[in-house]
Amino acid sequence: MDSRILDQFRAIVGKDGLITEPEQLRTYECDGLTNFRVVPSAVVLPTSTEQVQGVVRTCHRERIPFVARGSGTGLSGGALPIESGIVISLARLNRILEVDLANARVVVEPGVINASVTQQVSPNGFFYAPDPSSQQVCSIGGNVAENSGGAHCLKYGFTTTHVLGLEVVLPDGSLVHLGGKTLDRPGYDLAGVFVGSEGTLGIATKIILRIVKRPEIIQTLLAAFNSTNEAGAAVSGIIAAGMLPAAIEMMDNLAIQAAEAAVHAGYPNCGGLLLVELDGPAAEVELLMAQVKEICTECGAWEIRVAQSEEERAVIWKGRKAAFAAMGRISPNYIVQDGVIPRTALPQVLSEIERLSAEAGLRVANVFHAGDGNLHPLVLYDRRIPGQEHLAEELAFSILGLCVKAGGSITGEHGVGEEKKKFMSVMFAEPDLDTMQRVRCAFDPERLSNPDKVFPRPRLCAEKPGPYQPHPLEVAGVAELF
Amino acid sequence: MDKKLVRELEQALGKDAVLWKTEDLMLYEYDGSVEQARPEYVVFPRSTRDVVQIMLLANRFQVPLVGRGAGTGLSGGALARHGGILLVFSRMNRILELDFENQRAVVQPGVVNLDLTRAVEHAGLYFAPDPSSQKACTIGGNVAENAGGPHTLAYGVTANHVTGLELVLPEGDVVRIGGKVTDSPGYDLTGLLVGSEGTLAIVTEVTVKLTRLPEAVKTLLAVYDAVDDATETVAEMTARGITPAACEMLDGWMLRAVEDFVHAGFPTDSAAVLLIEVEGLREGVEAQADEISEVCRLHHAREVRVARDARERDLLWKGRKNAFGAIGRLSPTYYVQDGVIPRTKLPATLRRIDEIGKTYGFRIGNIFHAGDGNLHPIILFDARDKEQFDRAVAASNEIMKFCVEMGGALTGEHGVGMEKNELMPLMFSEADLNLMRRVRDCFNPAGLLNPGKILPLGKGCGEIRARPLPVSATSRA
Repeated sequence: MDSRILDQFRAIVGKDGLITEPEQLRTYECDGLTNFRVVPSAVVLPTSTEQVQGVVRTCHRERIPFVARGSGTGLSGGALPIESGIVISLARLNRILEVDLANARVVVEPGVINASVTQQVSPNGFFYAPDPSSQQVCSIGGNVAENSGGAHCLKYGFTTTHVLGLEVVLPDGSLVHLGGKTLDRPGYDLAGVFVGSEGTLGIATKIILRIVKRPEIIQTLLAAFNSTNEAGAAVSGIIAAGMLPAAIEMMDNLAIQAAEAAVHAGYPNCGGLLLVELDGPAAEVELLMAQVKEICTECGAWEIRVAQSEEERAVIWKGRKAAFAAMGRISPNYIVQDGVIPRTALPQVLSEIERLSAEAGLRVANVFHAGDGNLHPLVLYDRRIPGQEHLAEELAFSILGLCVKAGGSITGEHGVGEEKKKFMSVMFAEPDLDTMQRVRCAFDPERLSNPDKVFPRPRLCAEKPGPYQPHPLEVAGVAELF
Repeated sequence: MDKKLVRELEQALGKDAVLWKTEDLMLYEYDGSVEQARPEYVVFPRSTRDVVQIMLLANRFQVPLVGRGAGTGLSGGALARHGGILLVFSRMNRILELDFENQRAVVQPGVVNLDLTRAVEHAGLYFAPDPSSQKACTIGGNVAENAGGPHTLAYGVTANHVTGLELVLPEGDVVRIGGKVTDSPGYDLTGLLVGSEGTLAIVTEVTVKLTRLPEAVKTLLAVYDAVDDATETVAEMTARGITPAACEMLDGWMLRAVEDFVHAGFPTDSAAVLLIEVEGLREGVEAQADEISEVCRLHHAREVRVARDARERDLLWKGRKNAFGAIGRLSPTYYVQDGVIPRTKLPATLRRIDEIGKTYGFRIGNIFHAGDGNLHPIILFDARDKEQFDRAVAASNEIMKFCVEMGGALTGEHGVGMEKNELMPLMFSEADLNLMRRVRDCFNPAGLLNPGKILPLGKGCGEIRARPLPVSATSRA
């Protein structure tokens, strides 16, 4: 990158806020989706909104694309850099600015770690509900970008339900406020549009969060079934009974084995494991838990355990939350997939996955948020065997095809990012994608903010995946690329 | 009025679907607000195809196009402020699909809010958003204004219950956004469209969530001798993390007005009442109702009454929901305001409203969704007297300013419309408003959809035009 421009960045963020050394830049070459890697031209680490504005203004003036980054735990390549652009790391914007218990609001900077919010307010009986499995390290800014979910989103909703307002640096460097401390503000719901926009509309520098009062009691049940079908039937039974548990998670045998090998959660070795958590007033939870047990037994559960202490509960969750990483114990490499299906399609989709897995000769472990039909199939493979990585990617993508065919979606909570942009045209018709571009044009007409993510490129050609080919109209100077 | 446009509209929709004579148009110059504006044409489409035709004609003749449901809106959203075509959805009133398993319904915009609940009650379901006008107002109008209601406290506003939309864009393209599932990838366009007051597109189909009817409902009436005691009760419930399904407050003056009209059994000698409803499982409801009663008594409620049966419950709610109607008996005109404040500021705000009333010489009644800090001060005045009208608007603006100063908002559920668009700078910076303008312009570049709403009119200063879309530009080239 031009040293003149680097000097401008240095003047804004200081010497220790700019990274240009190639070996240091490599730290930023990928996020949690490690099979895509790009080394950026520079990384800046601003410490204030003003510095973010300064950096973005420079990018705008010089037409340099930028990618914002939180903790880099994302699983769809949302924070994947651009070779000719810079990465704006928000790790140093990590202060909790305000805790307003009376109105149940917390104002944070984007680099604040998800779990720190709950830590901050738990002495007062509150918690921050969205709980991605990476919550010990992932940042609120990243959660906003990807509209992150988590096990408890079944009852409490995704990140978007808990973000009420944002201070945003737009791609031209101007500062706007979207939403605010009160709900349902007048005008367009731009805060709602911003959450889940994966960094394509600007950079959030302050976030107003809603915190939730901790329920009177929480009870967690573990039920062992012979198959995922039986476990799935129990899930349908629970929902049909009109219950909305805080979480319903399911794991298949391969996932159980991996979790056991990694964290010894004491899971029974079974074909389908269900983890059901209920929270609320004590009287209600007791009553419903009895019903859940009954439904599980009816559907064939042969072992049912209810955690008797906070420690037991933590151990049960540890196995589930460590499930992805645990795959490392049983396979050298794995791909985490994220898809959504209508709950009712579960048995059919699982047997299809099994068929595809047998065809490809690759093992697939299944971990999912069963209550809302959000699947996380884990495709296991060995990179050292030639061709297997490619095969694994193909299998992971075929699984997405199954989800869309079943009336579901290509992502539940990990986002589209780099990984799934070519699938957007499977889910959306051309006019639908065009409508989204209208929003993009309003925020980022120059296409500088994380420009290559979410939407399939090239926009002017037939939507084909692959490297960008300029459109003939563009070459002729008749149209410009947005 | 352009005779040629009338002919083309009649050709496209049939003669019985187009009004253009002054005496016919006059019926459509009002909605539920104090505003007034007459359209030049009124049309009644029967299908999405009809709407596309109307949109294309509006484009060709460059006239404004404004959607309208039942016309019960309170901020002038359904008025043709700059003339043009008023598109009335009364003939697009079919429920297209009921999907009980996934708890979804697909409806046309003209379906009346309460009719949807009636159609699904037998399956133990209902449509949760419950504006006081729910017997008459349409789901399309609810979507446009992001309508709320007493039960918004627990269930959220309309936006929380809409999962998908079919739209006709200003160029006449039909687009489907969202669907039956929530949190679909890409931008949340459904969330953007809900509450956009008809300025981005015309909605022709709505997919909504259906909510399971609760097993048990308990309705409490807490009676107070001092307004502050009632507001302190609300603040304490919030602090304790109690979220009832609804928590409404009526001040003493409103109570007396309502009681005279509805005979719901409200104590007319009290200073305020809280109408609190809890829902859920029988056991949970009992426990919650007990805790709420305790909080009420702690804050000096002189009486906490529990509705004994459905009839008593209905009567209490009838009092609340017909309150605006009751005012009509007392004053030739009334102005229902809609503002939001953080719940912790309730006592201070009510005192300020009282002062404002005295300063401007008006009786201001208070009835509101106390649980979420959504106020509805009602100013009684006589609109035939121009001076009074102006004074009422000034008093109302003062209340709005105070709400915003308290960290609240200009509107909770009635929308901005043409009533509050000039007040938007109280809440938003020029940069914030410019971003909203750009969003509007990217959808509605010619400005034909519901012009003069939401955003301050200005005189073109600070207007930023977004670049045109390359795709539509090239496909049209």
